[in-house]
Amino acid sequence: MIEVRNLTKTYMTHERGHTLREVARNLIRRPMKEITAVNNLSFTVPQGEMLAFLGPNGAGKSTTLKMLTGVLHPTAGEVRALGLTPWKQRREYVGKIGAVFGQKSQLLWDIPPADAFYMNKAIYGVPDAEYRATLNELVDLLEVGDVMRKPTRQLSLGERMKCEFIMAMLHRPQLVFLDEPTIGLDMIAKENIRGFIRSMNRQGVTFILTTHDLEDVEMLAERVIVINHGTIVFDDALSGLKSRVGNKKSVRLTTETAVPDLQLQGLRIAERLGPLEIGVEIDTDLLPLKNFIREFNDSYGIADMEIQPIPIESIMKELYLENAEARSEAAVSATK
Amino acid sequence: MRGIIHCLGAVLRTKLAEQMAYRSHFILSVLLLVAGDLVVPFVTLLIYSSGASFPGWSMHEALLIQGVFALAKGIAFPFFFGMVGTTLHHVREGTFDLLLLRPRPVMLMAMLTGFDPDDFGRLFSGAVIFGFALSGMSQPALGAWLQFGLLFIAAIAILCAVSLFLSGMLFRWVGSSRVFDIFDAVTSFGMYPGTIFAKSLQNLLTYVLPVGLIAFVPATALLGRSGLEALWTLVPVSLFLLLGAVYWNRMLKGYTSAGG
Repeated sequence: MIEVRNLTKTYMTHERGHTLREVARNLIRRPMKEITAVNNLSFTVPQGEMLAFLGPNGAGKSTTLKMLTGVLHPTAGEVRALGLTPWKQRREYVGKIGAVFGQKSQLLWDIPPADAFYMNKAIYGVPDAEYRATLNELVDLLEVGDVMRKPTRQLSLGERMKCEFIMAMLHRPQLVFLDEPTIGLDMIAKENIRGFIRSMNRQGVTFILTTHDLEDVEMLAERVIVINHGTIVFDDALSGLKSRVGNKKSVRLTTETAVPDLQLQGLRIAERLGPLEIGVEIDTDLLPLKNFIREFNDSYGIADMEIQPIPIESIMKELYLENAEARSEAAVSATK
Repeated sequence: MRGIIHCLGAVLRTKLAEQMAYRSHFILSVLLLVAGDLVVPFVTLLIYSSGASFPGWSMHEALLIQGVFALAKGIAFPFFFGMVGTTLHHVREGTFDLLLLRPRPVMLMAMLTGFDPDDFGRLFSGAVIFGFALSGMSQPALGAWLQFGLLFIAAIAILCAVSLFLSGMLFRWVGSSRVFDIFDAVTSFGMYPGTIFAKSLQNLLTYVLPVGLIAFVPATALLGRSGLEALWTLVPVSLFLLLGAVYWNRMLKGYTSAGG
């Protein structure tokens, strides 16, 4: 469905100063700097997949998605999506895709969603009967029948987000890009949105999701691509991402006496939550759980304990840091 | 084509609904536009009533130019000029992406998104000035009306081209809201009889910045002061419009969106 080969995007930006002298100098001369936002990306996405496209801020996710949606032209590389080149056959292509942006509304603020849907129907050229059938189906699925005639500005964020999804799905796209689709929503609204995405995915719609909400990733994605500094640093199933850290556990402990700073193989104190409460990470290959519990109980007295798998946030943090360290090492060796 | 007309109808309906959400703003906005458009004709009235004049032009003839100018703006502004504001806002915010995600020509989407029903108020003020000017003159012949019709379409095409140039500039000079001042400064020459300016300025306003073609040339045709040779101006106007469209599309390619 999507085939990306050696996709690269560089752009020039002004280097702006912040001191008064630099600002004054910038009025006359603005030095330019080349930025490589996306560097030689290659990957494929089969039809019906639910792919999470992750990375820290400034990693190149949005630029990649903008090229995949045909909004931006790449500097180099190729993309074939739905049999088309997005930026060359933009009109035909965007008629087959949808996009939901958590931070950019496609609804019209002062008028009811129903009017905005009608406008989209005309823009996409959806026939009347098909429009009515799709709209009824989506309205039922998302349970927004009672808000359709209210001005958008009077809707809650959750209701608005549901309407954003209807706006994006009215023309029955085969491929949908989601950019932070649950940002700012409460747990119930998030669950509704996730349920809707899953149900559309079951109908064969391919989703590409970018988010910083890793719960969305755990609940929705089958496969994860992590991008950092414009390059792919991980591309595998979600389970692969979790197993990447080995047999690690996150343990939250309340002890009878304070735990000092320890140098113990297989154990890392992740956080101190109080005088007698700590969070630790244990590599159970090096420090089996039963040994850890026995030693800690003997030394500090365990009053309470909670064992969990390593949260995906920690895995991602580790992945980003690993990449940053590798880059700084490469930079040091390049200067030598 | 039917699809585009249907699309146009739906967007116009939606934009009108948006305006009706704040009726007082809409009414006030229309009234202010009408009042603003009547300022220059009012000054013209004062000039003539004080005994002065634009040499070679009666008051009604001078007002006819200003009426044509307001009428041309009354049609061009709601449909085309809104794209300047749309580009200014959406490029700066990075939301121009949303227009690129629609399966229609981007230029059409920019025009439709910028459609502003308030500006139809200018049609009203234009019609009032135009009607008043005509009431003080002998009725033009049918041929003059036909020639005027063609030249009036050319005037709207010029305003459309100017909108394309200004809007196109904003892809590169992001956030330059002064484009509106540039427009006002340049087009204000078009509200007066071209012959009151020096010959060099007349040529500049006809052949380089075709501001004189917005109102002066069509009004002259209606007054029967120009021959059929005035229709030759349709050629540079078509080229100007084509150049505007090429320029706009070229500048669109430089659109870099905003950070995500």
